[in-house]
Amino acid sequence: MSIDGAPASRQADVTPAHRPSADGALRPGRRWHAPARAVGGILVAIALWELISVSGIVKAQALAGVGPTASALVTHSGRLLSAAGGTLEAWGVGLGIAALLGITLGSLVGRSPVAEAFTEIVVRMMRPLPSLALIPVAILIAGLGLKMTAGLVAFTSFWPIFINTRYGVQQVDNLFIDTARTLGLTRARLLLRVIVPAAAPLIASGLQVAISLALVVTVSVELVSGSGGIGTFVMQAQQGNAVPTMYAGIISGGILGWILNRGFATLSTRMLPWANRLEQR
Amino acid sequence: MSVVQPTLRAHGTARRALRARLRNWALGLLGLAAAVGVWQLSSGFVGSTLMPGFAPSASDAWTILTGPVLSQDLIPSIERTLAGFAISAVLGVSVGLITGYYRAAREWTAGVFDFLRSLPTPLLIPVALTLFGLGGNMVVAVIVTAATWPVLINTANATRALDPTLVDTARALGLRGPAFMSRVVLPAVSPQIFAGLRVAISVSLAVMVVAEILGGSSGIGYFIANAQQSFAITDSYAGVLILCLLGWAFDSFFLLIEHRLLAWQRGTVGGGQHV
Repeated sequence: MSIDGAPASRQADVTPAHRPSADGALRPGRRWHAPARAVGGILVAIALWELISVSGIVKAQALAGVGPTASALVTHSGRLLSAAGGTLEAWGVGLGIAALLGITLGSLVGRSPVAEAFTEIVVRMMRPLPSLALIPVAILIAGLGLKMTAGLVAFTSFWPIFINTRYGVQQVDNLFIDTARTLGLTRARLLLRVIVPAAAPLIASGLQVAISLALVVTVSVELVSGSGGIGTFVMQAQQGNAVPTMYAGIISGGILGWILNRGFATLSTRMLPWANRLEQR
Repeated sequence: MSVVQPTLRAHGTARRALRARLRNWALGLLGLAAAVGVWQLSSGFVGSTLMPGFAPSASDAWTILTGPVLSQDLIPSIERTLAGFAISAVLGVSVGLITGYYRAAREWTAGVFDFLRSLPTPLLIPVALTLFGLGGNMVVAVIVTAATWPVLINTANATRALDPTLVDTARALGLRGPAFMSRVVLPAVSPQIFAGLRVAISVSLAVMVVAEILGGSSGIGYFIANAQQSFAITDSYAGVLILCLLGWAFDSFFLLIEHRLLAWQRGTVGGGQHV
């Protein structure tokens, strides 16, 4: 946590990198409190859910009880797993393309003021474009299927990765660059060995945003087009009036999103131990 | 980033800076023209009715904007987006202040919030459809489930990182409760709240479109989906173009307000950053 109260990010475009927490370190004796309370909170939420569904405030076609949902999760576990697999495939392919293009173009454009000025207006117009509006158009051009879903995912998640990489590359300490130049690094090596690693924390936070965004796009395409995956599973359950099954699908989607988010956050703190140091400087 | 020292801000430097800005604008417009050119050329190259060029799409967008679609679809969409955004903003800021400031509240809600915000919200559209039926309320509800999170998280993180000196000073001066929150905490965290709000407005717009595609009875998303299904292809491109402009307008308007409202804190925090 920054102690000076300075905003984590002055540029709203750019997602701030992770900051270390001072809370746990201050009171090491009470470390177990936080996870215990988080679990307690989940239990309270489940109890509330059951209470609302039993009380009948919300009509039964819209809210399944906890028990039926749990049993639907078990009985449909096979179908849910394969649906999650389908979602993951489109998600992964699209995100992979976006990451490759976003990091490459972002680091090149970030190092060149002319290229940045040239792309600036286009980027500013494309960034807030609600890409989900492209679903109908994408269906027209590419038809249903993995190619269309992955393409749309790639297009949408490209922007946060590109913008964060561009910004991160510009934020690299000139001292690093001058030192590397003095040591005689070629331009390509300078970019690969110095600039990109130094920008990695910001690139990682761009990727973190892109991960959730890509999942939202994948699921939306599945809902609209019925091309398979978790989204289609939920839509079909709703159309068949199978309320507990629908909730089982929603919960599986949430778990999938949670695993992807958490997994990446853990991975990036492990792989980028210098991120915290950079942030505190 | 180079920091320009005040003493160097002489006449010549100012003029050079202006020239650089003009050059950047010119380059940017050139880039825009290039993008439009690529679109036009590639549609000519493909030569398919599935990919109309920029010129027919833009002129179609103009006809739509001046026709009945404006009041039937576009205005309701804007109203829904703004309503959902406003509810999300109030909800996100107030809950974020509480979970950011009170450790117990933060820890109890951490698990549930973590799960809910990882949930891809379009999955909730079927639920909203059964709850609210087709139409505007459904769209607003779905927007709120998505757009609250960026505001809430930004507010909570900023509140958690508040300067202890600020908090202690306010306490020593006897500020308590709502007065303390609204007069000390809220202004101190407003820059991050704005960053969150800016994300939330684009999220609102995006979610509005999917919700309308799936369950609208009017609105620009409904219009685009309808155009696609009836093979009025230029219409659906025109709809996307209009949304592109709308997103850009929201974003620019937002930056403008942010610039105005937060003018007081420029130079007091963060040091020589000029955005």
